[in-house]
Amino acid sequence: MIQNLSYSKTAQQSLVLAVLGIGLVLLGLLSITIGAFPIPFGHAVSILLSQLGIDSGTFTEQEANVLWQIRLPRILLAILVGGGLGVSGAALQGLFRNPLVEPGLIGVSSGGALFAVIFIVFGSSFPWLGRIFGSFSLPLVAFIGGLINVMLVYKMANQGGKTDISLLILAGVALTALSGALIGLAIFYADEASLRNFTFWSLGDVGGANWDKVKIAFILILFPALLIINQFRNLNALAIGENEAFHMGVDVQRVKYIVLFMSALVVGVGVSMTGTIGFVGLIVPHLLRLSFGADHRLVLPGAFLLGAFLLNGADLLARTVVMPAELPIGIITAILGSPFFIWLILHVKKLNS
Amino acid sequence: MLDAQHIQYHIGSRPIVNRASIQVLPGELTAILGPNGAGKSTLFRLLSGELSCNQGRITYNGQPIKGMKTRQLASLRAVMPQHSTLTFPFQAKEVVSLGLMYSRPNNPKTIEKEVMSATQTWHLKDQLYGNLSGGEKQRVQLARVLAQIWEIKAIPRYLLLDEPTSSMDIAQQHHIMQIIGQLKERNIGILAILHDLNLAANYADKALLLKQGRVLQQGTVRKVMTPENLQGVFDYPLSVQTNGPGAPIYISSLPSAATSPTNYTYKLA
Repeated sequence: MIQNLSYSKTAQQSLVLAVLGIGLVLLGLLSITIGAFPIPFGHAVSILLSQLGIDSGTFTEQEANVLWQIRLPRILLAILVGGGLGVSGAALQGLFRNPLVEPGLIGVSSGGALFAVIFIVFGSSFPWLGRIFGSFSLPLVAFIGGLINVMLVYKMANQGGKTDISLLILAGVALTALSGALIGLAIFYADEASLRNFTFWSLGDVGGANWDKVKIAFILILFPALLIINQFRNLNALAIGENEAFHMGVDVQRVKYIVLFMSALVVGVGVSMTGTIGFVGLIVPHLLRLSFGADHRLVLPGAFLLGAFLLNGADLLARTVVMPAELPIGIITAILGSPFFIWLILHVKKLNS
Repeated sequence: MLDAQHIQYHIGSRPIVNRASIQVLPGELTAILGPNGAGKSTLFRLLSGELSCNQGRITYNGQPIKGMKTRQLASLRAVMPQHSTLTFPFQAKEVVSLGLMYSRPNNPKTIEKEVMSATQTWHLKDQLYGNLSGGEKQRVQLARVLAQIWEIKAIPRYLLLDEPTSSMDIAQQHHIMQIIGQLKERNIGILAILHDLNLAANYADKALLLKQGRVLQQGTVRKVMTPENLQGVFDYPLSVQTNGPGAPIYISSLPSAATSPTNYTYKLA
């Protein structure tokens, strides 16, 4: 069989993406019905249809409120944040040419968190920020924090077009530690009101979702994620090497800036809304590569869908395991992700061919 | 023509490439020869556009490399570096298909099959690149590079190769040199850094001797690859046996206790 080269997706790739998409929709429907307040499946469908103006069945007003005001925004936010983490993890791994890269490990998340905390604590000193950007202020500030850290890590770890693995991880550790310390310092100076805001934010996870957040995430996560996905061809070329990519006609510098900027945006915005959620960006690209190969044509969009699926699944666990209480979602992803990361460290030589 | 005029590249005040002028004509194979540290690789990277020279100018078909778009440059020349390491599990055919990423030919499948057949890698197409042997990897990379300029076009194009046969056995070396020879008919000019003097002497049209960043000799193989010239460049006694026009050239060197490289330099002086 001759390999499809026309840069449209192969049949297998389309199939994988379709299955992931359908799985995500099914999980979403399931998540809508399960919870401390169960909603029968038929009722849930009727509520959704009634929003489209189709009257198809009975449901209580309470069910409609829970579904529309609490569950649906929560699920959509988990899809956007999880998808964003997945796709930025995949793209950063491609850019650094290293399978150990993850937004949380290289300091993007902690940079975003630091700036988010600074904004929460000291934001009242910069009233003009809120006047100009409104509810976009917090996500944008978090984006800048993530961007600063990812640029620093990149500069430190990248020498002559090659990424030094140990430098990369160490730089990420150092920046994460520094960001953590500065977060502590900011909290030390926080007053009562901002401390309470911070506590809510840090416990936030996807439980704090509302339609406002979903709208912002839709604009500031989905569009950058699509821009990243569009870089699939260039990231494929970069897998052979930066010089080789240049020889084949890739504007390497431009690809770097797009991926670094957009990843910082996606992760920063996600962190500002849900707090730090680790390991999604690490696990997801690997599962795809191990199962279906490394072609970014599949890995990038697949990482969005699988990341969305994984975070939704984790959220479903987080809010059902100790019902009616909730676990922070970050705990679930870390419990799943840490052993995976250890396995990865032990096998990275084998994965790097 | 790939034309470099008086190009200079220095790190600090130390010149790595020193006022070098080079011409590569389409339809010819030009071999760069020289000892380690002569500046071959730097010269190669300057010509490929990876580095920009401090002085002098490089033109492809009369158009200066400076200010040329990356993608336009990629349509004029393909480059095969000495080593390429792959980070992720790509199949051999996926690696080769990358060579076509911006040229968008009408018949990509045919090109892929042709270049992989030519480099004897078609049977490896579904294997993971990381599982291939050194020689196989090199042939897959060559297939990728060939794909970039395989489509027949009127405009002259160029192929830059940095030791393309370094991991290959003797049969493969000759096979690869024959493929490169066939490219000449496609109006492609080839520039190759070669370590094996016999391969260079018997396959190249032109040779260029580089030492300490300077081009010492440049011209046809028979004119340039004389025992005197080669000994001057490599600081080691070499014998060159030419058997008249068209016949093979043999270049040989023997172990010699009396003529360690340093001793020999003294003798020359």
